[in-house]
Amino acid sequence: MTAAAIDARGLGKDFGAVRALDRLDLEIRDGEFFGLLGPNGAGKTTTVHLLATLLAPSRGTARVAGHDVGREGLAVRRSIGLVFQDTTLDRDLTVGENLRFAARLWSLPDRVARPRIDTLLRQFELGERWDDPVRTLSGGMRRAADIARGILHEPRILFLDEPTAGLDPRARRSLWEQIRALRAASGLTVLLTTHYVEEAEPCDRVAVLDHGRLVALGTPPELKQAVGATSLEEAFLAHTGHHLAETDGG
Amino acid sequence: MSVRAVYGIVAREFVRFLRQRGRVLASIGRPFVWLVFAGGGFAAVFAGRNEIDYRVYMAPGLLGMVVMFGSLLAALSTVTDREAGVLRMVLVAPIRRSTVAFGKALGATLLGTAQAIVVAAILLPVVQLRPTLAGMLLGLVALVLSGLALGALGVVLAASIRSIENFAGVMNFVVFPMLFLSGALYPVRHLGPVLRAVAYVNPLAYGVDLLKHALLGRWAGAGYGGELSAPLDCVALVLFAIVGLAVAAPLLGREGGVTRAAFRDRR
Repeated sequence: MTAAAIDARGLGKDFGAVRALDRLDLEIRDGEFFGLLGPNGAGKTTTVHLLATLLAPSRGTARVAGHDVGREGLAVRRSIGLVFQDTTLDRDLTVGENLRFAARLWSLPDRVARPRIDTLLRQFELGERWDDPVRTLSGGMRRAADIARGILHEPRILFLDEPTAGLDPRARRSLWEQIRALRAASGLTVLLTTHYVEEAEPCDRVAVLDHGRLVALGTPPELKQAVGATSLEEAFLAHTGHHLAETDGG
Repeated sequence: MSVRAVYGIVAREFVRFLRQRGRVLASIGRPFVWLVFAGGGFAAVFAGRNEIDYRVYMAPGLLGMVVMFGSLLAALSTVTDREAGVLRMVLVAPIRRSTVAFGKALGATLLGTAQAIVVAAILLPVVQLRPTLAGMLLGLVALVLSGLALGALGVVLAASIRSIENFAGVMNFVVFPMLFLSGALYPVRHLGPVLRAVAYVNPLAYGVDLLKHALLGRWAGAGYGGELSAPLDCVALVLFAIVGLAVAAPLLGREGGVTRAAFRDRR
């Protein structure tokens, strides 16, 4: 049973005259930890939003968890969790209220949601913050609560769009710890977008996006080998002709 | 349609509303400010006519105003949902865009209706208006249908306007004309043909008309009751709600729930 979790064929998106994503062919296997690496503006978020049915493709098709993104939006959204670059939590509601709201959006009965929320918040070290308004949380805690929100409905595939943007190094480390634990526990497929090379390093495979085009695809060692690079950073430079960290932040 | 998702959206609206004390006080206090200041002044102009006290005449309009502000503002909060990112959480959930639009409009309806009931409980005794049981029931129908029509309109506006800064424009060019052309303060039939035509594409006009049927039946003979037939008012309000929701649903999902400019920045 090695059905592709994600299968994109010639997927593309234009915003007016701007070609955000050209024609992307991508197959991500079930259970894979997959990285989309590229600078800001490379088309990473556009790719995620197309796969999550938040945007309609300008061309091409994609299947996510076996469902067509154009015709089976509800089925696609049922199988995925998405953690956006910026928080989606309601700052005026408490952590618990936010997660209960999310649970209802995913049609989880309260008796199922309640223990799950409890477990997740404990796992993300937010157990004590259930009744605190989200606006009182630190950036790291907010991101953790956002991830808890993203996996509450136990999706098959989790999209993490620049999950560490704006976090301090300690919060970053603990976030990776948590994602590792999640993958080990559930065999979750994870699609991570990042513009930090070191975050792509632990991925099973990495796709390098630049100016809306896929310029390289392979395991991190393969990407380095192909151009005789010693680091992924060098490999990125060789594949794209420019440095990754031109701009920073979200 | 996911009932649980709709319930979740509605419950969140109520929690947010009750937590904003200023909004609660404003919604309950606003009609009384109008009653005292506008009502006091117009009552003096009206004084020659002794069929009805102006403050009694404006009571249905004030309740319509409460529903309008309550429902429209609640539905317009979709703009803040989009700016704060919450809308994306909703859009990535496995529910239809139409369910999202309906949930928002229903939350707005129930909030607007609840506010109007609280205001009615104070206002009607103050102006010494004692509706019959049938009048009260029809009044409730009027509040709910007006709330739904205005809530749907609010979601359409929220999905179309770009940012919170456009709120003032909405207030000036939508809310105030809608209020003045609703029959809340003066009978629509006295307006010239152009304004009267505009009044009839105003959902609030039908809501206020229905409220007049409900509360001012006793003065119908003197020309202060509803001007259209009550069933027509109901049909018009339901149509506004249906058309509004049908238009709002696709607009909500546009650009993945973020403004295009914001999206371009973070692509």
